[in-house]
Amino acid sequence: MAEPGLIAIGAGIAVGLAGLGSGLAEKDIGAAAIGAIAENEKLFGKGLILTVIPETIVIFGMVIAILLWLNM
Amino acid sequence: MLLPKQMTRVLVVGSRDALKDTIEVLYQLESAHLIDFSSEEEGFGLGAPLPSSSDASQKLLKLRSLEKDLALEAVEVKGQVEVAKIEEEIATTIIELEAEITGATESKNVIQARISELEAERVLLQNIQGIPLDLELYHGYDSLRVFTGKVRDNPSEALVAAAPQHEVFLAEGGTFVAVFVAKDMAEEAHKVLLQYGFTEVPIPSGKGSPKGQMDRTDEELATLRGSLEEAVKKLEELRAKHATFVKAADEHLSIIVEKAETPLRVGTTDHTFAMDAWVPTQDLPQVEKAITDGLGGKVHLEPLRTMPRREAHGHGHEGAREEEVPSKLENGRTAKKFEFLTYLLSPPKYQEIDPTITMMITLPIFFGLMVGDIGYGIPFIILGALGLRKCTSNEWRIIATLLFFGGTWATIFGVFLYGEALGLHFAAQPHDMSWASLLGVDLPHELSLGGFEIPLGIYSKLHNVQEILYISIWIGIVHLFIGYCIGFYNKSIRYGIKHAIVERLSWLMILVGGALLLLFMVDIMIRGMAAEMTDWRLLAAIVLLIVGTVVAYKGEGMGAILELPGLMGNIISYTRLAAIGMSKAGLALAFNTIAFEVIFAHDYLVPGSNNGDIVMLIVALVIFAVGHLVVFVLAVLSAGLHSLRLHYVEFFMKFYEGGGVEFKPLKVIRKYTIEKTGTGE
Repeated sequence: MAEPGLIAIGAGIAVGLAGLGSGLAEKDIGAAAIGAIAENEKLFGKGLILTVIPETIVIFGMVIAILLWLNM
Repeated sequence: MLLPKQMTRVLVVGSRDALKDTIEVLYQLESAHLIDFSSEEEGFGLGAPLPSSSDASQKLLKLRSLEKDLALEAVEVKGQVEVAKIEEEIATTIIELEAEITGATESKNVIQARISELEAERVLLQNIQGIPLDLELYHGYDSLRVFTGKVRDNPSEALVAAAPQHEVFLAEGGTFVAVFVAKDMAEEAHKVLLQYGFTEVPIPSGKGSPKGQMDRTDEELATLRGSLEEAVKKLEELRAKHATFVKAADEHLSIIVEKAETPLRVGTTDHTFAMDAWVPTQDLPQVEKAITDGLGGKVHLEPLRTMPRREAHGHGHEGAREEEVPSKLENGRTAKKFEFLTYLLSPPKYQEIDPTITMMITLPIFFGLMVGDIGYGIPFIILGALGLRKCTSNEWRIIATLLFFGGTWATIFGVFLYGEALGLHFAAQPHDMSWASLLGVDLPHELSLGGFEIPLGIYSKLHNVQEILYISIWIGIVHLFIGYCIGFYNKSIRYGIKHAIVERLSWLMILVGGALLLLFMVDIMIRGMAAEMTDWRLLAAIVLLIVGTVVAYKGEGMGAILELPGLMGNIISYTRLAAIGMSKAGLALAFNTIAFEVIFAHDYLVPGSNNGDIVMLIVALVIFAVGHLVVFVLAVLSAGLHSLRLHYVEFFMKFYEGGGVEFKPLKVIRKYTIEKTGTGE
């Protein structure tokens, strides 16, 4: 069994970095989506979808973190 | 039926003098979606607006300017006016109103202008309050220049050197100065002043001391303000008296103008007109009857063709215009509220299933799963019910509906699945706080009802993470399975069964194969069973995966292979159902711990317990309340948005195309006017 503290740090890194990755990806899409919505409000639905697509990345990180945490 | 209503394209032709009546009849039927006439056809031109339009437009213009004067946008108008009454009174009322309102507005504007003038003068007078000179002394010299204005510093000493013949007056505070200087030295003096940051401020004309002048200004201001109030009051009275009528007249005239301008969308020749429209097939007999019977044989309706759902795969541009069959959605009263969410994405095409119903069922369930707490669920229900009762705007109504149904599911899951209220379990827990330990009562784990044991809390969001994750993955698989099934149906009615098999059944097989593989893997990796290569699930999974991939590859090419990991990502994406529930439970736990273990320890047995300290109890309760309010608000945002996202992104991608045209029949919506029944029917 590995050191619980190290596992916890690993889980933290998994969620943290994945979150950063999602954020970086979403910021550009979100900015562009807001621009598009400003021009045509009907694009809200599509803008929302495109914006949240990279969000799955952080879910991956979180699943890894949970799996690590369960092994503590 | 889940598909949009079947549509028939019809051509209405007739003698041009019957156009007005035809439009009237179609407006009453409310089931004809007009296709804008394109002037490409030979011999046809655009119709001219009906004569009633110009008169109505003129009146409407006047009315709108009156509305602006009355500031009617901000007023909620109740009550309705009969159309006959409007017709009768409108001409005289507009003239009367115009006189009254214009008078009142004008006097109000004049008063307001005078008030701002006086206020500006008052500010100027304020500046020279501290200088002991009368107002007339500032003006009318032949050999003197007078500088009055603001300065940063006292310029007296510098002025002595530059322009010996001068007099300086400094107001109290030293920032306002009045300098009297001989004309030939004016330029030097001005330069010096500029070095001290001089900005000129004019002195108002008048007589006597500035103080006296100011008192007179104040007096006049007071009377003016009084009359302004009166003018505003008069306008308000006018508004209260005429608001309903003006709004109703506006609506009535707008309807007239809209109807009168309909010929602009119709093709006409010198003596005939031809109108192209979509009519729901179901309403066709009724429309036909109304047109042939109601218009005395002058107009003929010809059904052209009933649109099939089927179309050629990857077809080109021909008939692209005809392509745009409007989709009229058919949903019940409750589902209708969720249509907003479908339209938010994009209206469905004529050839595909309207996803509103599926969204109505699963969206609140997902929301409830993520919240899963009776302590938040019941406030959601109350808020939702209140919203549905009070709100009128569409956006708020859909939010209220979602809160109501979502709250209901949250309560159900909160009681039976998680057994939680405000982040605390009902029954006593081995290590944690619970309502039982907090209140010192014994709460059961199960509810016995007529011989059945109903569990109150099977899983804990924070302790049974593995189980909840596993369940959410299965929810994802089932949800996507439904999505692919709808996709299969859509493809089969649109392009035929062969395309449906290649493009959707293949993915269904891959999904089922993956699910079987998951079952097998869980047995081996988590339950620790021995791996048997002859396990039927493994064999079936391999066969399904291989066949599915090959068929998908045949249908979609390399793209299908690239999409495989995407499908896995989609399924894992559903673990957010567990994750968001967990994060909310974690937040709630943190607030509960701070309130009832750190600040107000409730256990007599714990050393250092401050049980009974009333101040600590109050602080703890405040933190408890604020903390849970935060979690509650976050729940709306995260649970609501994420369940919407699961539908829009993961679920809809499997079958939904969207981009259809909304069915917008010729019809009028009356809010402030009533039309007497029996006209024209």
